[in-house]
Amino acid sequence: MPFLSHGSYRIRYELDGPTDAPAYVLVNGLTQYSELWGAYRDALIARRFRVATFDLLGQGASDKPALFINQDDHVAVLHRLIGELGDGPIFLSGISFGGLIALRYAIEHGARLSGLVPMSCFAELSPQLLLIGNALRTGLILGGTGYLQDLLLPMNLSDQWLKPLLDKLDSVKRQGWLVNDVYALQNLMESFLDFQPLTPELSSITVPTMILNGEFDFLTPRALHETLRLEIPNSALVIIPRAYHAFTLEKAALTADLLARFAEDVMAGRWQGNKAVWIAPEDAGGEFSPFPAGYDHLRAIPVQRAVT
Amino acid sequence: MSAFFGPLEADGRVPPHQQTRVAAFLISAHGALARQFAFALPAKLDAAWQTELNAQFYRESEIVSLLMRATAWVPDLALGHMAVSWEMAWLPAPIEGLADHARGQAIQLATLAHAIHAGIRPAALLPTEANPKDPFAMALRRIEFESSRLLQAQILFLKGPDLQPFRDAVSAVLERRHAEVRRLWHETLDSIGVAPS
Repeated sequence: MPFLSHGSYRIRYELDGPTDAPAYVLVNGLTQYSELWGAYRDALIARRFRVATFDLLGQGASDKPALFINQDDHVAVLHRLIGELGDGPIFLSGISFGGLIALRYAIEHGARLSGLVPMSCFAELSPQLLLIGNALRTGLILGGTGYLQDLLLPMNLSDQWLKPLLDKLDSVKRQGWLVNDVYALQNLMESFLDFQPLTPELSSITVPTMILNGEFDFLTPRALHETLRLEIPNSALVIIPRAYHAFTLEKAALTADLLARFAEDVMAGRWQGNKAVWIAPEDAGGEFSPFPAGYDHLRAIPVQRAVT
Repeated sequence: MSAFFGPLEADGRVPPHQQTRVAAFLISAHGALARQFAFALPAKLDAAWQTELNAQFYRESEIVSLLMRATAWVPDLALGHMAVSWEMAWLPAPIEGLADHARGQAIQLATLAHAIHAGIRPAALLPTEANPKDPFAMALRRIEFESSRLLQAQILFLKGPDLQPFRDAVSAVLERRHAEVRRLWHETLDSIGVAPS
């Protein structure tokens, strides 16, 4: 198990795939650990990518600072990891909290990237997200990691995914419960206490950017992704049908295919963001559909967009 | 070496020799906290935060009492010298760069409590096939759960505005405490064939 150094802390990471291939770097969400990207590793390596995954500072097998974790540390760790990957094309993707770290990296070190894929992401804390975040933190404090998982599972995954697992949810939760500690998760959550919105800086992200948002994402709804689409010049918003916040867990084959196609399009010079809004296919390999012209993609009912 | 207790007894219980050594370590650690909270507690509470001190004292005492009763004890000759090294480790050490003695004592106690409550997760050592009705297994789950609740007082104090000017010194003491407690805990587990991943 290789480790990077960040000051006195050790960061567990993994590199797989051909060393001369373009690389995908995948950044975990708050309660995740790097093994959860296993399906992506296999799918992307099969498409001739190198794949880098790691546990954030405070997560999984990485060291867990006892009292404070600064979001700047995650960006610095990501920079160290990307520095290990040589000079080839780098595509960076992150889910939720990891998407936020990916955005911050793109703002600070965008020149090193060939493409960016924020997933279930946000650049600012809306009142709803702030209050939900506070409630989740209280849940963690009062009920521990298991209770936080109990709150997140039904919020972030579909009935179709949950139904066959209802009688074995403990085993679904166990690895996350084992590798993540209450105090470390709390430190990660409390790194938002002095969070400043990234929105004013998003326009400095000039790399091709594909923003992925689940159709039914309750935790980070469409409006939060819309901020990214409007502010990042070479971006497109892709809505994943029937997906919730944690679609990277639920629809791994589809999402890995979207990541690979995006990178292939960018490297072939075919990518055109144009701040377009697309609907992803239901399954890997399917066709994208443009969001119906004239309709408002921020609404859940087919309302025609107001003429501006 | 396994990351979990075992091999389990036929009825799914943790082997008594593993119970004995782990319970002895936890009693030493939480017993030290109970003693230190007791010494810090005035006879009559005259500040709101002392109600939390009172709660911490009784929760630590409960953990000790619970382990005394829930553990399947067996004779363990190694416990004598191990207990001495544990008890030495719980003693306060001076904090560099902090002249205020009373504040230093409070930081010492809070950092020790943080390291024990945050860094020791005994329930995470139970394999999935452990008997959920085993009182020892139940005790470990309760101790881990209560520890994460008790921890909140230490987090509030150590991250609080009063200690903001001493943030680096406090963080350094806390990281040292964590490393020390983790080392002792891992040595104890290693001595019974358990290696947490």
